[in-house]
Amino acid sequence: MSTTQDSPKPTKPKAARKKKVAARKATARKAPARSKPVEKPVSVLIVGAGFAGLGMAIRLKQAGIEDFIILERGNAVGGTWRDNQYPGAACDIPSNLYSYSFAPNPNWSRSFSGSEEILDYVHHLVAEFELEKHIRFEQNVAELRFDEKQGIWTATTDSNNTFTGRAAVMAQGPLANCSFPSITGIEDYKGKKIHSARWDHDYDFAGKNVAVIGTGASGIQIIPELVKVAKHVKVFQRTPGWVMPRPDFATPEWNKLLFRKLPASQQAMRDLLYWSHESMALAVIWNSPLTRIAERIGKWHLRRQVKDRWLRRQLTPDFTIGCKRVLISNDYYPALQKENAKLITWPIARISEKGIRTVEGIEHQVDCIVFATGFDVSNAGTPFPVIGRDGRVMGDEWKGGAQAYKSINVSGYPNLFLTFGPNSGPGHNSALVYMESQLEYALKGVRKIVGEDLKVLDVRKDVQQRYNKAIQKRLARTNWNSGCKSWYLTEDGYNATMYPGFATQYAAQMADFKEDDYETA
Amino acid sequence: MASIDLDKMLEKIKSTQWALSDIDWDAPGAELITEEQWPKLKEFMADLMWIEHVGARAFAALAKKAPTDTLREIYTYFHAEEQRHANAEMALMRRWGMLEGDELPEPNINLRIVIEWLDRYADEMPVYVLGTVVPMLEIALDGALCTFLLDTVKDPVCHQAFEKINDDESRHLGVGFTVMEMQGRSASYIKMAQMMARVMDPRLILGIASYMPLLNKMRDNVIAMGLPEEKLYKAMQKFERIGGRTEEGRRNPWFQLIKQHGRWVTNRSNRVYHVPVDALVKVTGMVPRKALPAVPSWVKELTYEPTTTR
Repeated sequence: MSTTQDSPKPTKPKAARKKKVAARKATARKAPARSKPVEKPVSVLIVGAGFAGLGMAIRLKQAGIEDFIILERGNAVGGTWRDNQYPGAACDIPSNLYSYSFAPNPNWSRSFSGSEEILDYVHHLVAEFELEKHIRFEQNVAELRFDEKQGIWTATTDSNNTFTGRAAVMAQGPLANCSFPSITGIEDYKGKKIHSARWDHDYDFAGKNVAVIGTGASGIQIIPELVKVAKHVKVFQRTPGWVMPRPDFATPEWNKLLFRKLPASQQAMRDLLYWSHESMALAVIWNSPLTRIAERIGKWHLRRQVKDRWLRRQLTPDFTIGCKRVLISNDYYPALQKENAKLITWPIARISEKGIRTVEGIEHQVDCIVFATGFDVSNAGTPFPVIGRDGRVMGDEWKGGAQAYKSINVSGYPNLFLTFGPNSGPGHNSALVYMESQLEYALKGVRKIVGEDLKVLDVRKDVQQRYNKAIQKRLARTNWNSGCKSWYLTEDGYNATMYPGFATQYAAQMADFKEDDYETA
Repeated sequence: MASIDLDKMLEKIKSTQWALSDIDWDAPGAELITEEQWPKLKEFMADLMWIEHVGARAFAALAKKAPTDTLREIYTYFHAEEQRHANAEMALMRRWGMLEGDELPEPNINLRIVIEWLDRYADEMPVYVLGTVVPMLEIALDGALCTFLLDTVKDPVCHQAFEKINDDESRHLGVGFTVMEMQGRSASYIKMAQMMARVMDPRLILGIASYMPLLNKMRDNVIAMGLPEEKLYKAMQKFERIGGRTEEGRRNPWFQLIKQHGRWVTNRSNRVYHVPVDALVKVTGMVPRKALPAVPSWVKELTYEPTTTR
């Protein structure tokens, strides 16, 4: 089995990459960027042209619903995968599982594809299902408001355009917004600052002293790539995560051919991957004997790749595996041990004009600081005001932590469907598997609204409360709530992010659309 | 005295950080070190710096075992702060021309053994063992040695650096004694039983065997510097005074044990203690350095340079 480290991906020349990005943008711009308000409400208003929004669009089309529009704040599709194009960016779920079952791709080049290839897949979805004409680019939604009398959702953008729809799907993504962390003195720093989710492809790292803050999923992918080109890389770690081996290999040509000629073989592979990931839930979600085995694998991986006892201690996690996101990498630990790399575990005291001062009293002077510090996750609010029945504001109602019914509907906000809503996150399986269940559920709701000409399809408050009580009870027994601090939890430790169960359980709950749970008008 | 509020303490620690670059290491005053002082001071500073460094490593172990998030974060800061003290002391040695090139000063053999012990076993020790020993080391060695230094050395940069170091140390001690009192809050006999079980742990016995000669060795070094050993004893008695100021503190069996040990150390006429321990110092002094394994890599993180690009 080859690994990422053994057979590194060929790095594309910068010019070629720029050309490709420009071509993607040109494709995007070709789409009509209509800014006039649409007078007649469409059936479905979708916010966001990432995986979720485009997936919804495809399923609507396949169901014969053509009058929908997608509002996209950027000038290209792809969402998270458009934004996260930092060097080394890749998915940590195998591509055959991190793709839509209704749009399989037999040509994945590797078992774990890079972000560029995933973005190509997204573009392929747009072309194959002719979605471009539905997308309104550069329409950044500033408010989503429900008019109960008419049963209409109105999206107002920050350029004051309005779009209306009978149903709305919030597919803006949970990992769409990012900002620099609030570290003392960050504004004093005179060098280059780059956020992993807003990569500056024009910045040349060759010969530069670089600091990377953050060793989560993005950090551990960026660091090995930076170590290859920069003069020196200092990695500032607060909490070490569990890093597991990554079974990454190039897909042989015969395999691609097999998938093309015999699609059932690709489905069989997907099923195999699905069930093997499902089994990981037993180690990752709940504290079980399998958790200990998973931790042993993690420690074995560390011991095998890191010989120095102190460095190993610095990299050893002190929380139960699964409590935070499990990381996978074959080249992170070796990269840290290169001559031009150093792991710093001293707490950061402040950022100064020339670099980072740590508590051991030393100023680490660098030309550039890369912030791999994650995203602004809305687990206690919404990215823009969402106003429902009687003027209620979702963000206000979610201040103590977000909650919804089956992650998709919120009482008081009729005809509105959330993707990646509260408690829909997997810790062990492909997010797109969960997504497909959400899309099917939303489709059923939309069909009901349009088919029965409903003005209001609103989940009952008591049903939602009962659901959340049960979910929180189940969450209390999971590893996520076992005491570590993570982005899954709010400041108060409320878990509004993860689904405490198997993907199969989640799919089963989403397959069941109970009309009695809803109030209709 | 009531225990301190650890959350407030953490905030204070975060808001009172300083860096080596806050001090002008090239400012005038280095010439105030006399020729007579120089060789003894060199040895003394090397010991002091290594004590700070082993203290740092002990805090790292405490951070792993801390019972609360706040205490874990405090110990993580203390680990780094002790390292800062060692770095600052190295910067002073550099200023006084006591470092040859980029070489680290050589630790004495007893410190070297303690380093080895910490590297191998410190992380396995329960939080309250190190939580009691560390304040003793800080108050007796670190605190007392710093006072001696300031009485002897006239260089203003040294005073400037130690003013900052002492501010940090007072917080370390405040937390140290609070934690000792926390340990004393539950029923003594249970703690005593748990402690006895720990004392039987061979790893801890090894630790005690490294700690005892270290104290006696330091006493010898203090005398070699021409300083009265009574000052060291006075500092050690301070541990007994502060640690035993509350009922909870006195109820902590580890406090009682370390206190008792302190009494033995400060009583030179206690031959039952001093004869074998002094013999241990002599024996360890004969251990060839080559017999010890290579220094752990955490030692290599020491630096006297206020800024670095590598």
